[in-house]
Amino acid sequence: MHLAHLSITNFRNYVRCELDFSSPITIVQGANAQGKTNLLEAVYYLAAAESPRARSDRELINWLANEEQPPFARLEGRIEGSDAVREVSIALVNASDRLQKEIRVNGVKRRTLDLVGQMKVVLFMPEDIDLIAGSPKARRGYLDSAISQMERPYARSLHEYNRVLLQRNSLLRQLRDRPSGTHQLDFWDQRLIEEGSQLIASRLNTVAQLDELVQEIHTRLTGGEERLRLIYRCSLPLEGPEGLIQYRQLPLGGASGDGTSLAEALPSSADVSTVFRQQLAERQREEIDRGMTLVGPHRDDLRFLVGGVDMCTYGSRGQQRTIAVSLKLAEMDLIRSRTGEEPILLLDDVMSELDEDRRRYLMAAMHRDQQAIITTTDLHCFTASFLEQATVWGVQDGRIGRLA
Amino acid sequence: MRSVPRSVERLIEELNRLPGIGPKTASRLTFYLLRSPQEQVQALARAIGEMHEMVVTCSVCFNIAETSPCPICDDSQRDRTMLCVVEEPLDVLAIERIRQYDGLYHVLHGAISPIEGMGPEDLKIAELVERLGKNPVEEVILATNPSLEGESTAMYVSRQLATLGIRVTRLAQGLPMGGDLEYADEVTLTRALEGRREI
Ligand SMILES: [Zn+2]
Repeated sequence: MHLAHLSITNFRNYVRCELDFSSPITIVQGANAQGKTNLLEAVYYLAAAESPRARSDRELINWLANEEQPPFARLEGRIEGSDAVREVSIALVNASDRLQKEIRVNGVKRRTLDLVGQMKVVLFMPEDIDLIAGSPKARRGYLDSAISQMERPYARSLHEYNRVLLQRNSLLRQLRDRPSGTHQLDFWDQRLIEEGSQLIASRLNTVAQLDELVQEIHTRLTGGEERLRLIYRCSLPLEGPEGLIQYRQLPLGGASGDGTSLAEALPSSADVSTVFRQQLAERQREEIDRGMTLVGPHRDDLRFLVGGVDMCTYGSRGQQRTIAVSLKLAEMDLIRSRTGEEPILLLDDVMSELDEDRRRYLMAAMHRDQQAIITTTDLHCFTASFLEQATVWGVQDGRIGRLA
Repeated sequence: MRSVPRSVERLIEELNRLPGIGPKTASRLTFYLLRSPQEQVQALARAIGEMHEMVVTCSVCFNIAETSPCPICDDSQRDRTMLCVVEEPLDVLAIERIRQYDGLYHVLHGAISPIEGMGPEDLKIAELVERLGKNPVEEVILATNPSLEGESTAMYVSRQLATLGIRVTRLAQGLPMGGDLEYADEVTLTRALEGRREI
């Protein structure tokens, strides 16, 4: 998968920018606040229709450059996939009081759900350390974006689940004052279980696969010192001796010990929905008292263990950073094996934070024909041979040009 | 210090309260009206005023009309064995437009949506049960929107009707999920009506 052309209009500090990505690796060098992260954000936005960092899409429109009424931003990309070439575009128009987002794929108006997955990207920024150190919400969000790129039904289920959750929570609060209406929960319970079980089953599957892929990567990144395990911590009682998930210790080779495949060992969405239904029935009174839904994918978490120690809480900054690198590399492998497409790697000034060994490992981990767009303040972070095969651009004040 | 006269400001505020109209659009409309000929503006004001004087809610089906019972409830030519339940008066209009349905209607005036504080008791559901108790039909078609709220309403209503022993059907899938009946094209709506299934 290759982003061949990118056109940026009024996005962040870019007024107008046309870029042709001819070689697989593009390095963009520049001082801080010149537009390095904004460029990667633009590519990510075109893939996911959401910003990895903006709190509101409104921030993305370049207001100063904008004499037009209404103000707008536009991104367009030509993506060469293994099967076809696609033109995707997103326009953000600030029409009087609300922000309109218009998405097109090959010129035809589409929904966000139709866009996600057209261009598969793995973005890696220094802030990703917060995936390990930050809130469960950030980790759920990470899993959600990662899976949405690979499984189209997942994004739809997630959208539906969040709407059901809002309605159900409102109803729970109302039932506190008039408990006679609990039968009104039936519909929302049913939909919550349907969509929620799909989400949990997909996440369990993805986390198990990431866990398997991360073994070799993390062992090599830490020189054999650390063994990393990824655990999906579910708010439903799926774990434990009688539960559905039995975490087996994977041997370092990667294949499972007792010969059963990972997929067989994991609970299906039907298994999850049985437990989900039981829990909702058991905890209905508590949920009404507290006015919120207490179990479901919105209460789950992804944890990282090294030698049985929870790295989210007890890891050093250095350990957490390395785990973030391992996770992203495993995600790259997963997209490759699951979709057959090479994801586009977006690295935002990550090299300077890593030591020599890890930099080399990261450079080596990129596939020969894989596209990578890498920003840096310092070209010395790269080996001479790596620079040789790359196109190197400079960015200054929202303008990008070839470095002399 | 006031930059615009109070009367202008008041109209902007009133227009701003309408759905889909923000402060900017409200100002634009207001200044458009200010520049329009007197007769045109007065015709608009009269139309708004008279609409409220003339329009009543039909005491049988709760659709809006200028008489009660409304022309549809009053029409002896229509098929009185079928009753179609919709969310809004505009949905009646949409179904009438395709000319494939000749039965009666019942307008709920909304859908169950806890976020918006809309519960079953805020809709004309009790009235529907009472109406069917007095004047039974052979089939009730639940034509609420294909959204979460519409589905939730359909399920609730079908349970309320379960004891009456009436055949209850639901529009076929195929309407765009989350869409409104009101915006469905005629072919899609016709197909949804023809392919309706028992709940
Ligand atoms: Zn009537």
